[in-house]
Amino acid sequence: MNIFPALVKREFLDGQNGYLRVPVILAALSIFLVIVSTIGFGATIEFDGVFDDHEIENLGQALDRAAASRRGDTELPAAVTLSYWVMGGISWVALPFVVFFTLLGALYEERRDRSILFWKSMPVDDWQEVLVKFVTPVFMAPVIFLAIAIASQLIVALFLSIVVLFQGGPILELWPLASMMGTWFYFATLYFTMTLWVLPVLAWVLFVSAYASRLPIMWALMPPAIIIAVEGILFETTTFLRWIGIQLGGWQAYAYEHIHADVDGPADFLALIFGGIQMDAISYSLGSVQFWVGLLIAAAFLFGSIELRKRAA
Amino acid sequence: MTETVIEARGLSKTYGDFHALRPSTFSVPLGRILGVIGANGAGKTTMLNAVLGLSSSEGELSVMGCDPSTERGKLMQDVCFIADVATLPKWMKVGEVLDYVEGVHPRFDRTKAMEFLGRTNVPLDRKVRALSKGMTVQLHLAVVMSIDAKLLVLDEPTLGLDIIFRKQFYAALLEEYFDENRTVIVTTHQVEEIEHILSDVMFIKDGEIVLEAEMDELTQQFIEVMVTPGKEEEAQKLGPISKGVTFGKTTCIYKNIDREKLAELGETRRLGLADIFVATMTGEG
Repeated sequence: MNIFPALVKREFLDGQNGYLRVPVILAALSIFLVIVSTIGFGATIEFDGVFDDHEIENLGQALDRAAASRRGDTELPAAVTLSYWVMGGISWVALPFVVFFTLLGALYEERRDRSILFWKSMPVDDWQEVLVKFVTPVFMAPVIFLAIAIASQLIVALFLSIVVLFQGGPILELWPLASMMGTWFYFATLYFTMTLWVLPVLAWVLFVSAYASRLPIMWALMPPAIIIAVEGILFETTTFLRWIGIQLGGWQAYAYEHIHADVDGPADFLALIFGGIQMDAISYSLGSVQFWVGLLIAAAFLFGSIELRKRAA
Repeated sequence: MTETVIEARGLSKTYGDFHALRPSTFSVPLGRILGVIGANGAGKTTMLNAVLGLSSSEGELSVMGCDPSTERGKLMQDVCFIADVATLPKWMKVGEVLDYVEGVHPRFDRTKAMEFLGRTNVPLDRKVRALSKGMTVQLHLAVVMSIDAKLLVLDEPTLGLDIIFRKQFYAALLEEYFDENRTVIVTTHQVEEIEHILSDVMFIKDGEIVLEAEMDELTQQFIEVMVTPGKEEEAQKLGPISKGVTFGKTTCIYKNIDREKLAELGETRRLGLADIFVATMTGEG
């Protein structure tokens, strides 16, 4: 009997505010802002006085003009793709918070409300519970968030297409699907790599939620803060803080060190991305000792969480 | 030979210097309803937690052939328990609780659970948080009674519920769940309410099993005599385990003394489980 679908479904139901409501509300808000700023203020419909060139009066004409320009065939799709991320990607702001607080409550709330006694009366091993409670926020939540970002980008594209349809203009320029899908794929790989780097920190948060008898947020933040402070006072160094910084994303500065790109316009930016920057990220990670040490630390915290849950009743 | 559900040898649990459970050896066969009775902090829950794999313990312990401390997940296929009132997840809807159990428990029969719930007023689309205490217990009971387990452990399952619910709870347990292929273990303070359904009892005092007996035997062993005035000295000679005064008359409780002999001293009656418990705990029995 495969019990994992039922466990994941339970995690999703438990955390559906963070997994679904928050990103959907944020996405709806940003789409709403796009629509209001387009229709309400009319700036994209009638470019009255925006351009010195009075031939461009609305979005349709602007697209027309951009497509016809010298670098239009390369710059325009890139510009459109990136602007969709700006208009439809705001949900991502919430993801780190959702992941952090979900993990922080994962093994704490069940002890606080004593529902652990019900979960433990079911034929589910502690390692299965801990694994699901880790994987769902860390790896499943980003998938949902990405799906919502993609959906909102498509909605924005659809809305702008309708506007341009009325104004007259090259609607197809609003659908640079190849580069849009490219960024989705790029985003997914980079995010996955970043998550693996952050894994020890996330596993620490889950460990705290299995350990803390109350105020898990204090337990999550105080020990690292104390280590940083003590290290600073005794040795006047910042090794631990730097380690955290690198795990949280600082590693990318090293991964892309050799890239001296001359970015001039959105097309160059996308070219850089598609040129394999995520491959640099992956190959740098796989060759980094700190990366592997981080994964080992994550495994140790997960193991500790499982042991703590076995003893919790 | 009857199948054994629990086999414990020298089972104990200490917290530092405190002996929550002193080395105990006991076995529980299949097809019994065992009442575990003891004061607060006597070690009942400690013992049951060890049996359910909820906490570690010392000594040998085998439940359905599994070591509960390392094989809890596997064990829970055959064992079910209600450890306390209100442990159902409050954020879940009733229907979602059933979905979950159906998804993880191979021995859960949803049709049966729906049938049990159909007799109650528990609404499927309501969150557990919004159910009354009685409804929450009804739901939990419907869930465990629909699981085809060999051992069901109920630790104070009716705490804080009113008497009607408690009566219904035990009636349903006896009539619709229990059979010779299952064992039920119950702990409760309301001894009188479970006395009639028990086949065996176990008394625990200060972390020690002080008495283990079949109900039929036990109630025959203990006899209370309302001593006829003038025969007090004679009564004392037979060695009562406990003495008291009721309506100005001396009452003595005897263990393992021939009933006919006692009848010569005065009016005799069998003791209820609660009285036997009190006599055992306070007297030298």
